[in-house]
Amino acid sequence: MTVQADPRSEARAFTGQSLRRHDGDDYVAGRIAYTDDLTLPGTTHVVLVRSEVPHARISVDTDVALARPGVLMVATGRDLAEHVGPIPNAMDPAPTGGQALELRVLPNDKVVYVGQPLAAVVAETMQDALEAAALVKVSYEPLPHVLEAEDALADDAPLLYESWGSNVMLAGTAGHGDVEDLDTRSAGVVRGTLRTGRGAPAPMEPRVYVADWSTRSRRLTWYGTTQAPHPLRHSIAQFLGLRERDVHVVAPPVGGSFGFKNFGHPEEYLVCVLSRLLGRPVKWVEDRASTLRYGARDSRIHYTASFDADGRVTAVSCDLLANHGAASATGAFGMAFAGSLAMPSGYDVAHFRCDWRVVVTNKGPWSPLRPFGKEAGALLMETVMDAVARETGLDPLEVRRRNWVKADQFPFVTATGLELDSGDYEGLLDKALTVLDYENVRREQELARQEGRYIGIGIGFEVLPEGADIPGALIGASDISTVRMDPSGDVTVLTGVTSPGNGNDTAIIQIVADRLGVPMDAVSIVQGDTDLCPFGFGNVSSRGILTGGGSAALAAEDVAAKLRGVAAGMLGCESPDRIVLHDGLASVVGEPERALPVAAVAHALYTVGYIVAPDVEPTLEATRTFKMGNIRHHADEEGRIMPFSTFSNGIYLSVVEVDIETGIVDLKRHVMVHDCGVMINPRFVTGQFTGGVVQGIGAALTEEVLHAGDGSQASSGFKTYLLPRANDVPAFEIQHQVTPSPFTPLGTKGAGEGGVACTMASLLNAVNDALSPLGAKVEELPAVPHRVLEAIRGVGR
Amino acid sequence: MIGHPFTYRSPESAAEAVELVSAAPARTRVLGGGTWVVPECNRGESAPDLLVDLRRAGLDRIELVDDVVHVGATTTYTALMSSAIVLGHLPMLAAMARGITGGAQVQSQGTIGGSVVAARPQSDAPAVVAALGATLVMAGSQGERRVSGEAMFEAASRSCVRPDEILTRLEIPVQGAARWGYYKLKRSASSWPIATAAFVVDQHGSGSVTDARLVLGGVSGTPVHVDVRSVLVGGPLEPGRVDEAARLVAASVHSPWEDELAPGSYRLAVTHPVARRAMEMAMQQEDS
Repeated sequence: MTVQADPRSEARAFTGQSLRRHDGDDYVAGRIAYTDDLTLPGTTHVVLVRSEVPHARISVDTDVALARPGVLMVATGRDLAEHVGPIPNAMDPAPTGGQALELRVLPNDKVVYVGQPLAAVVAETMQDALEAAALVKVSYEPLPHVLEAEDALADDAPLLYESWGSNVMLAGTAGHGDVEDLDTRSAGVVRGTLRTGRGAPAPMEPRVYVADWSTRSRRLTWYGTTQAPHPLRHSIAQFLGLRERDVHVVAPPVGGSFGFKNFGHPEEYLVCVLSRLLGRPVKWVEDRASTLRYGARDSRIHYTASFDADGRVTAVSCDLLANHGAASATGAFGMAFAGSLAMPSGYDVAHFRCDWRVVVTNKGPWSPLRPFGKEAGALLMETVMDAVARETGLDPLEVRRRNWVKADQFPFVTATGLELDSGDYEGLLDKALTVLDYENVRREQELARQEGRYIGIGIGFEVLPEGADIPGALIGASDISTVRMDPSGDVTVLTGVTSPGNGNDTAIIQIVADRLGVPMDAVSIVQGDTDLCPFGFGNVSSRGILTGGGSAALAAEDVAAKLRGVAAGMLGCESPDRIVLHDGLASVVGEPERALPVAAVAHALYTVGYIVAPDVEPTLEATRTFKMGNIRHHADEEGRIMPFSTFSNGIYLSVVEVDIETGIVDLKRHVMVHDCGVMINPRFVTGQFTGGVVQGIGAALTEEVLHAGDGSQASSGFKTYLLPRANDVPAFEIQHQVTPSPFTPLGTKGAGEGGVACTMASLLNAVNDALSPLGAKVEELPAVPHRVLEAIRGVGR
Repeated sequence: MIGHPFTYRSPESAAEAVELVSAAPARTRVLGGGTWVVPECNRGESAPDLLVDLRRAGLDRIELVDDVVHVGATTTYTALMSSAIVLGHLPMLAAMARGITGGAQVQSQGTIGGSVVAARPQSDAPAVVAALGATLVMAGSQGERRVSGEAMFEAASRSCVRPDEILTRLEIPVQGAARWGYYKLKRSASSWPIATAAFVVDQHGSGSVTDARLVLGGVSGTPVHVDVRSVLVGGPLEPGRVDEAARLVAASVHSPWEDELAPGSYRLAVTHPVARRAMEMAMQQEDS
């Protein structure tokens, strides 16, 4: 189903404008109240006691801690098991052949990673709780532990979850076609291994949860850092055995989430049960070390790809092994699945197969993290394209041109079953080349090599499946919005999508203000409150504008139609279609003197509707949603489904210089061209991509969580887990291309995950291009200096 | 939040500070700027009963006394880089201060004395003050004590300053006409130094080297003094001799430092270019 765009769109005052955030001043001036700024009367504080060993049976003695002043409760897993069951899984691996996950808010008798919470101290003050937590006595009966995925697959590997019989949580295969005997039926074959180190979420604001059980109303109110208030409400109700209506979830403004603040973390549910047991508000604030204990990436891909004499890639087969760390109820395992589906990216590869496995080890659990595993697709295919370029002697850009899905092939079904909605990948590259004089940079590279300087040019290309709708999970590609105009003409938008700080709330106001012809400041928006807002899947899979903006546009158009009807009657105009809403006025098209303030029209409908508009239904409120036209959950004959609604894409050209004496990589230029379809506010899109690129630079060059052999985590703060800073990155050269989605109401595509995967690929390729005269090659990210230097020194060994 | 109860004192003189720290040295931590000790306490890695903050002890003066610069222990990096005495007489120290990781907040909070006492291998200050020939002046209940040279740093995270003493000042001879070079290798802007080289060289008017000091930081538990005089003294500072001197450095590092940011093998591998770059910087320096 295609939803018709509003034919009046050319007259939009705000859509497409790079307006500033409607509440930006509040953020800059420190007036925004985050969850930690919220202290309810009688709030109690939780401090978690954490495991000091990677794998052990435990017994916990809480007596001394409990006797401390101010301490209200010291809860262990065994204590809480009498009151609550396992954490509901945000996504469940079992229906697709994976293991059954039954994870508890605190473990009953066994810990599986260093830092795992094993007891909770609740006290009157944080200080009381901290002091008591140090007095909880834990006896460990150590078990052998395993940190690497390959080791976890060994027959004699220690098992984290004995009932599974192995450490494989879930495995699957993506793709179709014939990938056997590639050597015998192609002009050439490239093989290799790619490794990505363990990354971690790093929002400015760690997680904070407050649960408030009212003994009077028998309702639970939950405040916290969440992207998904309604799905969380559902799972909290399930966890506590309450009706969904008796849980009220409120999400105050969030200081970044990146997938980490979707739902399924133990502490989200822990505060609920503690509050119900105590009958008082319970607050938990995460520290940075805890945030960094969650992981992502940490994967290995073995690949083989064949190509023909023209440099066309004919087949790719790969084996993806993902180190998930401990199991988690967040559905983070889906990152391996999404990574496999994101292959073979936007390339027309007829024969493709990815066998993927998600393995548990004694590290902290994976968390969802932008771009949700899809970097695997970009890294794999961009590595293959460069390898084919080297083998054939073709320019890497030319190899891509020969292999892309062409603009006239859309919608295009990939080998993994995704239906790419639209795109113009050639156009992206052409645009990038108007910014970067490729031939000239290649000449400069040659001159630099003669001076003993190693410049590299790297290409990265990404196609991101976004707007997910996952069967069986509360992750959907639709949302509901309500638009309501008061008798005074003020407008309120209530929507189920939340804003993680990216400005989508302002963009939704732009969309609504345009359709109602009112100024921006006449419109306010309410997000993140399950008692106020219609059901929504929150802020996940780059869908805030896609679904929240789309449904708000439809609802605003319904309200606008009523306004036009009323205004037509009041202005003596025979047809509501001739009424335009613009600049706060309802006027007859082409006759600007025949006009009324929109507010007066609204007031008239509320007060004298039976006189001025007898045919118009009273009140100015509409609630709308829509269904994505391209999602398909019935499996095709090969068992493939189509769970994504849009496929934004981008190409990057990076220029780096590698100091071959020290292995330091200096990013000189980063040219980015993106296509996320129609942009409601290009400033915010640019902001999203800028953040994504910086995250990609971190993943490619600096960010890596390391563990010592004893399972302890060496990277625990921002001095040991290095995020890029402003002076690490050049001024980005950003361009946008607009290829509207034919399947979404506004022609938009997701814009929340762009830049990470592309940047990882372009930097890996740039480093290897720089090192190519030395015959050296980096095959593991991040390309930290010692890894680069080892690659250089390893040549000829 | 610091998870254990403690007493905070901010003495108003060095004598009062000495009295406080010598009462129960093992249960006391001293704050220079607090950029290291306070986060340690926050993380629960250190749980002292008493925190003695030297901020009000009057130890932040910079004075020139007979060709020796007296730098108070609680002088911040910001004060160092804006002091006319330091800029004029200890340009290498000023350059080090400008390059401290952490931006204005850390530069204005962190102190030179705190960094010296913490003696962390991943800090800029130890190798630089060693290369500048500094003397550390401590106050204790037994009176004043002075230490210079390699004895200033005993092991990783252990300086010569004893728990019952406080560092009151550094005495650093003016650089005069000496050329200098300071090269710091970091992984990225937020990274601690991985390897540093601080180089000071005295030359005759003719250009012939009369004395030279090269001290490496970050590559070992304590600053590594490399004797480059055998190669450099008696001849001009020129690329061939500089490279020859740089070749000496790897052999001077016996047990390379290893941490979360870089393995020992990497540190060992980069000592040569890092040392050479510091010496090249001196070589290319205009006569002051």
